[in-house]
Amino acid sequence: MKKLKNLTKQSEFYVFIIIVVLSIIIQARSGLFFANNNIVDTVRSMIVPSIYALCALLSFVSTGPDVSFPLIAALSTYLALITTNALGMGESMVIVFVFAIVYGSIMGALNGIIIVKYKFPSLIVTLGTSSIFSGILLGAFEAERMDLPAGLQRMGKASLLSVKNAETGLGSTLPMTFLILVALYVITYLVLNYTMVGRGVYAVGGDEVSAERAGFNVKKIRFGVFTANGAIAAIGGVCYAVMSMRYLPTEYAGGEMIVIAAIVLGGTRMAGGVGTLKGCILGTLLLTMVSNSLILIGISVYWQKVFIGAIIIIGTAVSALQSYGASRVKSKVKEAA
Amino acid sequence: MMAKIKKIDANILRLIMILIVFLIIACVTQPTNFMKADNFRSMAKQMTEYGLMALGVGVCMISGGIDLSCVYIANLSGITAGLMMQSMSTTSSGSGYILLSVLVAILVGAACGIFNGFLISYLRIPAMLATLGSYQLFMGISIVISNGSTVSGIPEGYTMWGTTLLAGIPFAFVVFLICIILLSLIMSKTRFGQKVYLVGTNAKAAKFAGIKNNSVLIRSYMISGILSAIAGLLSLARINSAKADFGSSYTMQTILIVVLGGVNPDGGFGSIPGIAIAVVILQLLSSYLNMFPNISNYYRDLIWGVALIAVLILNFVTNKRKQARLAKAS
Amino acid sequence: MGNILAVKGIKKSFGGVHALKGVDLTIKEGETHCLAGENGCGKSTIIKVISGFYQPDEGTIEINEKGYPVMTPSEAINAGVQVIYQDFSIFPNLTVIENLAFNQILANKKKLVNKKEFRRIAEEAVKKINFDVDLDALVETLPVADKQLIAISRALLDNAKLIIMDEPTTALTKKEVKRLFEIITDLKKNGVTILFVSHKLDEVFEISDSITILRNGENVITCPTSEMTEEKFTYYMTGRHFDTNQNKADMEKNIGETIMSVKGLSAPGFENVNFELHKGEILGVTGQLGSGRTELSLALFGLLKPTAGTITMEGKEVKIPNVSAAEKLGIALVPEDRLTEGLFLPQSIIKNITVSKMDELTSKAGILSNKKVVEESAKWVKDIGVATKNHEFPVQTLSGGNQQKVVLGRWLATNPKVLILNGPTVGVDIGAKYDIHSLLRKLASEGMAIIIVSDDIAEVIATCDRAIVMQGGRVTGQLDGSELSNDSLTSATN
Repeated sequence: MKKLKNLTKQSEFYVFIIIVVLSIIIQARSGLFFANNNIVDTVRSMIVPSIYALCALLSFVSTGPDVSFPLIAALSTYLALITTNALGMGESMVIVFVFAIVYGSIMGALNGIIIVKYKFPSLIVTLGTSSIFSGILLGAFEAERMDLPAGLQRMGKASLLSVKNAETGLGSTLPMTFLILVALYVITYLVLNYTMVGRGVYAVGGDEVSAERAGFNVKKIRFGVFTANGAIAAIGGVCYAVMSMRYLPTEYAGGEMIVIAAIVLGGTRMAGGVGTLKGCILGTLLLTMVSNSLILIGISVYWQKVFIGAIIIIGTAVSALQSYGASRVKSKVKEAA
Repeated sequence: MMAKIKKIDANILRLIMILIVFLIIACVTQPTNFMKADNFRSMAKQMTEYGLMALGVGVCMISGGIDLSCVYIANLSGITAGLMMQSMSTTSSGSGYILLSVLVAILVGAACGIFNGFLISYLRIPAMLATLGSYQLFMGISIVISNGSTVSGIPEGYTMWGTTLLAGIPFAFVVFLICIILLSLIMSKTRFGQKVYLVGTNAKAAKFAGIKNNSVLIRSYMISGILSAIAGLLSLARINSAKADFGSSYTMQTILIVVLGGVNPDGGFGSIPGIAIAVVILQLLSSYLNMFPNISNYYRDLIWGVALIAVLILNFVTNKRKQARLAKAS
Repeated sequence: MGNILAVKGIKKSFGGVHALKGVDLTIKEGETHCLAGENGCGKSTIIKVISGFYQPDEGTIEINEKGYPVMTPSEAINAGVQVIYQDFSIFPNLTVIENLAFNQILANKKKLVNKKEFRRIAEEAVKKINFDVDLDALVETLPVADKQLIAISRALLDNAKLIIMDEPTTALTKKEVKRLFEIITDLKKNGVTILFVSHKLDEVFEISDSITILRNGENVITCPTSEMTEEKFTYYMTGRHFDTNQNKADMEKNIGETIMSVKGLSAPGFENVNFELHKGEILGVTGQLGSGRTELSLALFGLLKPTAGTITMEGKEVKIPNVSAAEKLGIALVPEDRLTEGLFLPQSIIKNITVSKMDELTSKAGILSNKKVVEESAKWVKDIGVATKNHEFPVQTLSGGNQQKVVLGRWLATNPKVLILNGPTVGVDIGAKYDIHSLLRKLASEGMAIIIVSDDIAEVIATCDRAIVMQGGRVTGQLDGSELSNDSLTSATN
């Protein structure tokens, strides 16, 4: 009973209900939502946004918004590709990932240094570094679309699971990158919940001064978060290239806001300290469903943005009013006591 | 008198210095191409649209928030006006219908701004999220009403404003100048302007001081919406078309400009002239880079990013010194 | 018994400002020692020096007769020194377990989370003070007093020998303070030494064995509490003599007709409140934290919507839906929390003073006259004696007392008929407190009606003509001038 009560307090729970209701509606109207190919398709489109969602989650919980991950992804993927090409190591896909992670971490570390040293708002700093990374990518390197080295091509062609819908004849495949997503979530889950550094991420976001006094190294934790974000973004960037079967430098920018909206819908608190991986997945799933599946119930794609906008506004309004209401109720309770 | 000059704001002085230094460099290195009336005219036209939106974002940031939806308000207004003109140009004559379309577009912009303000004030959604949601919504509405395609076929009676010169100055730039002056006056000389600064500093204290925060916020976002609508209308005249996703990259640029112009990202401080000068500097810079065919225009992004971080650090250091001085003085 | 702590000749300066000019502090093992002084006297600096967060420029620190040439936070903890800060140093977003266990886990340099160990540590901690709390609850859902108990039990976990409590009673109700004092007494029995930092007279006398008073970064006196009197205490803190009671008698009283009357007023937080307020009268509203006193002041100022009852101003029944309506009726409120509700800290003194009078300083075209604004502000700075060199300075550069005068000046500028002050002298130096009280009495003698909402009984006695006592949202007592005394009020509020 207590568990149930706790459940209803979590915003993840409500997102889950909305997802269930929405999927039932779509299924009832079209009969296609729970079709194997649609499910695989939805999972497939969730892979990269869910990886980015980790960046957004970590930065929001510990510090504040990070909007630089799409461009870190773009630049680090590009640098990794040209490095492996130059070194002639394109046969191995692991090498590309390793290089990308190294480059991404360096860029993330740059964010971290500026944010930690000067305590500037992370939104503005990451906006600035995004602009810098974009300038380096498209200005200095004049990056253009590129074919992938052999290793990544093989990875892109391989699939974990291939399904075909018997009725419609439509097929879909689950790419290898899904494994990377799962691995990242498992690692992040373990780090956040079972290491002191992970608890430190929440502690720092909850109260910076208390964290300092308790003995957490606030600066190191924040620096670490942004560096890790760089590495995660880089992995997401390579995954994106693998799934599109080529590298498209201009396709990366612009995804950040939807990812942030997804994690906030999933219960991540804008003020910091609160946010779960469950919420990341649910929020991303909800927005992916809306973008992918509206067409199944005969709503024109033209309406897609309207729906996404409305969901973001309604979702955030509900949680904003809820927390405002909660603070009011609390003061009433205080009176009664 | 000296004290008065000092008061003008170290930030604006600094921006003006940067502007002058930059002009000198440009004169020396590109005397023929850069220092041409034509070049200045085209710069004036280009900066107008994102400049107007930056002013709007600036007001919102001073009030303690942010507006990520400007670009899409501009597009929605442009599309509304474009569609109205398209459909009425066949049946109406004269220019009355053009004026009507323009008015409706501005009203649309104002309404979008009021909607943002409502979400932020009455529903208490953090500004970043509220405008993040509303930009999707405005963009969605634009797509729906334009069927996802480019709105074109704008009557010449309207597009001529895109090429009109007033005393040698492009019409669009004149509009920009008027907006700068009006907004500067509103923000620095009126009661409303003062309230925006105070609400941005401490919304709770503002409420206790008798300021109607909700109304101040709604009006701030309405101003931003109207400025965006004007930007959308000017863009419609300049490029003879409107589309739901035009100028997506402007969103981040406007925020960069506003912070470069000295607005405090936490709210409460900043000035309209500062934003305007930042707009000019960035346009000069980007046009200057265009003079070098072998330098990609994307270098602009790099320079902007570096400039933003540098300005932040510079402000940080000078503020720290100032505070140390004040602490000693009192 | 020996000295658990002996610091000698501590000097510390920040950018040329001497915060500590050679402070000595000696605490005997097992005693409850009180450290008192006005804001800015160096209390918090010396705490930070003892706990290793600041390195002193000069001076020595000895704990249990062992010298610490360089004290670090972890060394201080190892030596048994624990500080309980005013904000309790907690993580509102995490569970009670984590809040209790973090310090020890981190001190042991453990890298991994063992949930069983966390729970064991937490259970051990709450047992130390028999603290009954849901260990899995999120701390943000708990009342203030529980948060403090979390901080105390956490401190005890680390084998604290000396617990430093920084203004521990600020956010507590009377009942909660009582419980805290019981815990302190228990701790003392178990041999724990307490350094109790406070400026509240009655608490200091009730709980402490000896007292050290600081002023301007220097020692003034250290003596057993039994040798201290209230007058001496005030004198040592401020360096000035005050006689508040006499002042009250001197002032000519001129209570006029009824200006405001409240009948059956109810709102979330209080119900069925009745009173009449006359011109020239100072009415006290007192009660514990959570008695509804703050809510009453908000309702009279249009910040809380009444659910029943009427407010009558000058014979006419009025509705007060918002602050500007209150302002138009001539009602002003100096709010409880100066820093968050009262002031625009980084903005200039001028803007802070003129904000509520902007409408009058604006021309018909909506243009604010800069000249009028500056004049208006200068007038009030002078009238109420705000000590500043430059009116353009941000308000945050002022001391607490001067900040409060700025808020007061803002509302006096609107020429109110009814002035409500909620906790007018919280966090204000005794000197400035005296100034503010004199000013209020002067305003009343000129015909202004004043409501002072305060839990500071001494303040109510010193200033008010009449007082109503609130408890649990209801008015439980009315005391007229002659009945106002420390005893009568204390018994009424408990």
